[in-house]
Amino acid sequence: MNVVALLAADPLLDGELRWTPLLIVVLKVLVIFVLGLVGTMFMVWFERKVVAGMQNRIGPNKAGPFGILQTLADGTKLFFKEIMNPARSDPWVFRLAPFLAFVPAFLVWSVIPLGGDFTEGRDGTVTWFGQVTRVQLADPPVGILLVLAMSSIAVYGIMLAGWASGSKYPLLGSVRASAQMISYEAALGLSLAAVLLSAGTLSTAGIVAGQNSLSNWNLVATGFVPFFVFLVAVTAELNRPPFDLVEAEQELVGGFHTEYSGIPFALFYLAEFMNTITMSAIVVTLFLGGPQPITIGETTLSIGFIPGALEGTLWFVLKLLAFLYAFVWFRATLPRLRYDQLMDLGWKFMIPISLGWFLLLAAIRTGDANQWNPVVVVVSSLVLLGLGYLLFVAALRVSARNREREGAMF
Amino acid sequence: MSQYLPIVVLMVLAITFGVLSFAAAKLLAPSRPSTAKSAPYECGIVPTREPPQRFPVSFYIVAMLFIMFDIEIVFLYPYAVDRGALGAYGFWAIFGFSVVFFLTFVYEVARGGLDWGPIVRDRDLTADAAMVSPERTATSTVRRVGTEGRVPENAA
Repeated sequence: MNVVALLAADPLLDGELRWTPLLIVVLKVLVIFVLGLVGTMFMVWFERKVVAGMQNRIGPNKAGPFGILQTLADGTKLFFKEIMNPARSDPWVFRLAPFLAFVPAFLVWSVIPLGGDFTEGRDGTVTWFGQVTRVQLADPPVGILLVLAMSSIAVYGIMLAGWASGSKYPLLGSVRASAQMISYEAALGLSLAAVLLSAGTLSTAGIVAGQNSLSNWNLVATGFVPFFVFLVAVTAELNRPPFDLVEAEQELVGGFHTEYSGIPFALFYLAEFMNTITMSAIVVTLFLGGPQPITIGETTLSIGFIPGALEGTLWFVLKLLAFLYAFVWFRATLPRLRYDQLMDLGWKFMIPISLGWFLLLAAIRTGDANQWNPVVVVVSSLVLLGLGYLLFVAALRVSARNREREGAMF
Repeated sequence: MSQYLPIVVLMVLAITFGVLSFAAAKLLAPSRPSTAKSAPYECGIVPTREPPQRFPVSFYIVAMLFIMFDIEIVFLYPYAVDRGALGAYGFWAIFGFSVVFFLTFVYEVARGGLDWGPIVRDRDLTADAAMVSPERTATSTVRRVGTEGRVPENAA
């Protein structure tokens, strides 16, 4: 790989080094960075305001119109707060952990298609300053795998934060958190496999391009089940209520960030809310067509006077807001799960169901491609899945009976 | 590889942001450490015991099961993306792999590897049936006291 290829950093540019693509890259990085920070500030305010409304309170209303600058005020305040070093902490890892939490949160932004015109078979590229590019920071071929990798690294941030604090509550919180996050990562990955089956590509722009009408949205094309599994798994992955056992205040004080103060704490907070936004964006990209407008049959719900690429951004933001609102709604509505319920839901319900659903979809698609009799395919798949279900129920019975017999009381 | 440069640039920018924030806080924030402040936070109680070194084995089992599932996922993704080229053979290979995998998972569940917390026993509620019967109302169970002399007998 030569330097020219490395520097030719813009999509669809063939190997010639110019200043324009580099400037576009720098511009896009800056825009994404600022967007990430401002979006997070907005999200914190939005969550506080909406939860306040749902609980019959007013919520932040002093700083700026509707209290919209409250997050900025809080953030500024945290710059002036002492950074404490707990006596028993591991100083180096203690400082490293916030970086492991918030840098991956930023990086997820880079593969999210934020706009572009994907209608009528267009590929979502736009032309800026004579350069063909995408309204997303980068479109690497691994695409969605980068998101999974980043969410795995975020587990390290939380785990090491709790371990390095040298204190009981953070340690308990982080052990819980890592078990919870890896459990739901398995469900997340399996439901994502169903999307990849219908998309046939890992690139996020490719996944969006494939969802060019309502019936092609992966929400419909994968038969709704992977969507719901993914949504629940994402909520657990984000440690958001009702899965916020990581920072269950009543038992663990603040969970993994009990010992953090000042700016390190602010970085964890930033990561948490930025992950909420990016993961909602990932749900929109994977299942709801990202920047695609709603197309039913031949009719496209189009906003005429806005140019195509900008309209994509508008659709994207609308869909994103729906999910952000849903996450806040979850928080205001649902009580926290108990730990064994959390693990049972993840391992004994969502993982088997998403694995079974994936195999069902794979069988139907392979049957389609090879002209197998569809009735035979569906019936035999359902029979096999039923057998698997019975086997699983039998396993649950056996384990329950054994526990009863041993009288295990923890 | 050209698509990864913007991601690296963003990463550098994010790290710089974090480092600058730390530096700014160093300059702006006070630093007055004391023994009480830097002690592990336990809601005001002076910690007497070390944080636990050993954890319930269930956590390790979950970690190992996760690795199993990750391997399953690692094999599923290439098949899902390239299903057209792999065709029926790819499907049967994945199917066989998943069946073997599922059987081991079932065995793990049957051995109780994923059981958490105490056994949940449903309490027999027949003894409490009298307590929750609809006959018991505010008028039948609450004895009104203390109104003698204050409310006239035939005030209504």
